[in-house]
Amino acid sequence: MSSTSRARLGEEVWKLRTDKINAELVTLTYGSVVAQLCKDLDGDYAEVNKQLDKMGYNIGLRLIEDFLAKSNMQQKCANFRDTADVISKVGFKMFLNITPTIANWSSDNKQFSLLFDENPLADFVELPDDGKAQSELWYSNMLCGVIRGALEMVQMSVDAHFVSDVLRGNDTTEMRINLIRYIEDEMPQDDE
Amino acid sequence: MVVYSFFIFDRHCECIYIRQWLNTASSAAQPLSRPVTASSAATVATSVAEKPTSGSRLSIAEQAKLVFGVIFSLRNMVKKLCGPEDSFLCYRTGHYKLHYYETLSSLRFVMLTDIRTESLKSSLHQIYVNLYVEYGKADIRAQHAKHVQLKFTKMSVVVVKNPLSPVEHAGGEGVNNELFELGIDSFVRTID
Repeated sequence: MSSTSRARLGEEVWKLRTDKINAELVTLTYGSVVAQLCKDLDGDYAEVNKQLDKMGYNIGLRLIEDFLAKSNMQQKCANFRDTADVISKVGFKMFLNITPTIANWSSDNKQFSLLFDENPLADFVELPDDGKAQSELWYSNMLCGVIRGALEMVQMSVDAHFVSDVLRGNDTTEMRINLIRYIEDEMPQDDE
Repeated sequence: MVVYSFFIFDRHCECIYIRQWLNTASSAAQPLSRPVTASSAATVATSVAEKPTSGSRLSIAEQAKLVFGVIFSLRNMVKKLCGPEDSFLCYRTGHYKLHYYETLSSLRFVMLTDIRTESLKSSLHQIYVNLYVEYGKADIRAQHAKHVQLKFTKMSVVVVKNPLSPVEHAGGEGVNNELFELGIDSFVRTID
């Protein structure tokens, strides 16, 4: 499947097969989740990042089935570059109506970055002005977990983390995704 | 068309759902009075009808193991012979036909039918999309309202999107629910 037909597929699924809700509702709901976590964990932003990632991971494990059902994809991606293309043009398009830019491939084709020109989760957001949040909190960290969980279900073990965020005053919002390994098919247990 | 039985295996090679219909002479598939599911298979194994194909008495749980052994080997053989893009769709013997569909998330759907049945690949895909992931069809939902007194007839969740269902379905947990049973029943009638 070519890159343009993937873009078309993403567009089509978004238009015809996605139940939509108000974007501001998503933004505000996500915002209150993060705010509540910061409060509950008493400003321990490393722990907040971890919890957001974990929530995302559990979402990703299920979201992949919805993704496969709606996108009707039945062929495995031939390589990790294809996977990146599908994540951006079909995955993000289908669920958030955005298409992050793929950039900064490593020479072994196992690492790439997603650049978020727009991020619906981060609209109207200002990080707390306590001197720590600006350098410690990754506000949209749930997205990393979602990608990690979803790819794990299609037999790819990856590491995903943010390296910059416009909320912190960086020029771009960049997520780095690193393929650790392909997961082998599980073998049935020998019960004889 | 006669449907004999239906199995779902997860990525851990575990059987998470079994359904068997009695092999009657009529063309309509007659469901057992009490559906057999993976979790209860061990206790009801002795009372289950004999295997439709050979007439020998094999418990449904043993059947499931054999079926998995066959599809697992066949699938691996096909992939070795023709490359990872290929997959097998069905095989038939003198007495029955086995249809196979595997999702990218390594869920395997298997249906045993009589030999005259056409390919069920798309039907199995429909079961995955419309029944396993969610109910897409309002008419099936309306049928439920008639069958069972459900308080939440608009609830469009069955297995994957059901917030109460676990991600891993050890012993058939989560898959073994009334909505899914009824959905499979009415779906099998429509493909008759």
